[in-house]
Amino acid sequence: MNPAFQLFKYLTPESFLAETAFFVLIAGLVRATASRRTMLLSLTLLGGLASIAWIWIHPESINICHGMAVIDPLTRFVKIVIVALSLVACVYAASSNVREHLAEYLALILFSTIGMMLLVSAEDLLMIFIGLEMTSIPLYLLTGYLKRSAASAEAALKYFLFGSVAAAFLLFGLSLIYGVTGSTSLQALAQMPRSTASDPLFLTGVALALAGFGFKVAAAPFHLWAPDVYEGAPTPSAALIASGSKVAGFLILAKFLTLGFAKAGGSAIWSLLQPGWLPLLAVIAAASVIVGNLAALSQSNVKRILAYSAIAQSGYMLLGLLATGNKGLSAVLFYVIVYALTTLGAFGVVGIVEARRGGAQLHHFDGLHRSAPGLALCMGVFMISLAGIPPLAGFFGKFYLFAGALGSVSSLDGSLGLLWVLLIAVAFNAVSLYYYLIVLKHVFVVPAPDAATAVPQPRSAAGFCVGLLAVAILGLGLYPPLLLNPIYSAIHGAARAAAKAASVQP
Amino acid sequence: MSHDYLILTLFLAIALVFPVVPLVMAWLWARFFSPAKPGHDKQAIYECGLESKGPARIQFRAQYYLYALVFLVFDVETVFLLPFAAMGFVQISPASFLAILVFLFLLLEGLVWAWAKGILEWK
Repeated sequence: MNPAFQLFKYLTPESFLAETAFFVLIAGLVRATASRRTMLLSLTLLGGLASIAWIWIHPESINICHGMAVIDPLTRFVKIVIVALSLVACVYAASSNVREHLAEYLALILFSTIGMMLLVSAEDLLMIFIGLEMTSIPLYLLTGYLKRSAASAEAALKYFLFGSVAAAFLLFGLSLIYGVTGSTSLQALAQMPRSTASDPLFLTGVALALAGFGFKVAAAPFHLWAPDVYEGAPTPSAALIASGSKVAGFLILAKFLTLGFAKAGGSAIWSLLQPGWLPLLAVIAAASVIVGNLAALSQSNVKRILAYSAIAQSGYMLLGLLATGNKGLSAVLFYVIVYALTTLGAFGVVGIVEARRGGAQLHHFDGLHRSAPGLALCMGVFMISLAGIPPLAGFFGKFYLFAGALGSVSSLDGSLGLLWVLLIAVAFNAVSLYYYLIVLKHVFVVPAPDAATAVPQPRSAAGFCVGLLAVAILGLGLYPPLLLNPIYSAIHGAARAAAKAASVQP
Repeated sequence: MSHDYLILTLFLAIALVFPVVPLVMAWLWARFFSPAKPGHDKQAIYECGLESKGPARIQFRAQYYLYALVFLVFDVETVFLLPFAAMGFVQISPASFLAILVFLFLLLEGLVWAWAKGILEWK
């Protein structure tokens, strides 16, 4: 078959989203009526659900043009998750303070989602870069969408400048990798000789690329944009940046490192440190956990608390990447999906409170449990899950991550393995409990200042989504295999598909 | 031992000499020959020989940029259509014709969108 047609056929879910975005743009031109928001939202949801349904009913695996787009059970699973997360962000947008140009806002969310979908199915350095840019550029616009708000403009400018520099680092790193190895395909890179893997120029390239990815997942020391962006951006944009973009970023980082550069890992074990990306990742993880948790302590804005918490959570997820292999990957995937659901829910609550009380400072949450008990309960579930307390999903996610990182090296001769970085993570997780509970203190303990600004129980689609997410977090905490089993089968299916492709090719 | 880069080093040195020497000469001239006589007219802003009018820090309307973006629709269209049209004398397969139609449709939608949003009206 003509490769162009083949590409079109297998990227149908992405095409669905693109077509939906163009439809929504045109539909947004009709005269403003009361039902226009509902019409735009249902159009978007329809397109997104069609895309999910298409992915669901087409289970074939294929590798187009040597890794330009790889469709296998793993990428299909993650694509479904990403589209679902974006659709929730769309629902938030329809009931948020984005009043003008809603159609363009929804279209930009869809464009960014297409970028994420291309990103997760890429196994080629060039495609990874293009996917990252396609994800980021709509996100910059979404951040600066409140054009009358100075904070939003400032956030967008910071995000854009940081993002451009990070993209430059990434590109420079990728060019060095290409220069040394002569290939851009991750599968070809995996077969490089061991002497290449210890080439200083090659390791420099990997380190520079890590800086670029570090920006995307908001890991310290590349995290400086996150607090301002989360605070200044419209809440649905912040929710998308914290959820969908993070899932895509972590999957591609895991693919990039474990698929292409397994040989250049080195060792992060304290007594036998060896150059490679593992020690680098361990340091970034430890720095993120420390910086994120400590800086969150002194924040008074819930969005900023969520931003610093996101930095700390990135650190935990990077720990999971240290445990190379399928076990580590499944732990990271479980955790990043649970984290995305939780933070999406938390941003939903923040958005509802912000719309009613005009801010997301801690005191805006005072006495929430009186006027909106359901909303307060959901916020409790999200915060406690983020802190990692059983029986919520966040606890099991952290447990799998830490157990995976600990177990990956325990077979070695009596060394303490990754214990040094794990100890930091566990200790600072205890610190994190403080600021999560401070939020809950304002929600449940501090009385509301007056009844005039009470937040009524929301009856909107956003409130429904928040409730659904809380139930999901509770369900995944009580019965983790609900998510773990699909992840396992997706990862094994992907491995089988890759093995089959390898046996056919030569 | 090759000297491939020697010529570049030489070039760098010469490239440095050209701007530095006039600067040094100008400085020496000002130091030893020209007396310092500052005055109102002498220190006035030079603006094409005319008297400068108003502050230099003015804001441009955002509309200029919007116009430039809409212009890009036609610009990009030309760049891609020209080779396509030139190829048309040889052969056009139905698939490529369809592809260019989709491309044109996307650009056209951008224009329609901008028009309906009122970007083309100069306010």
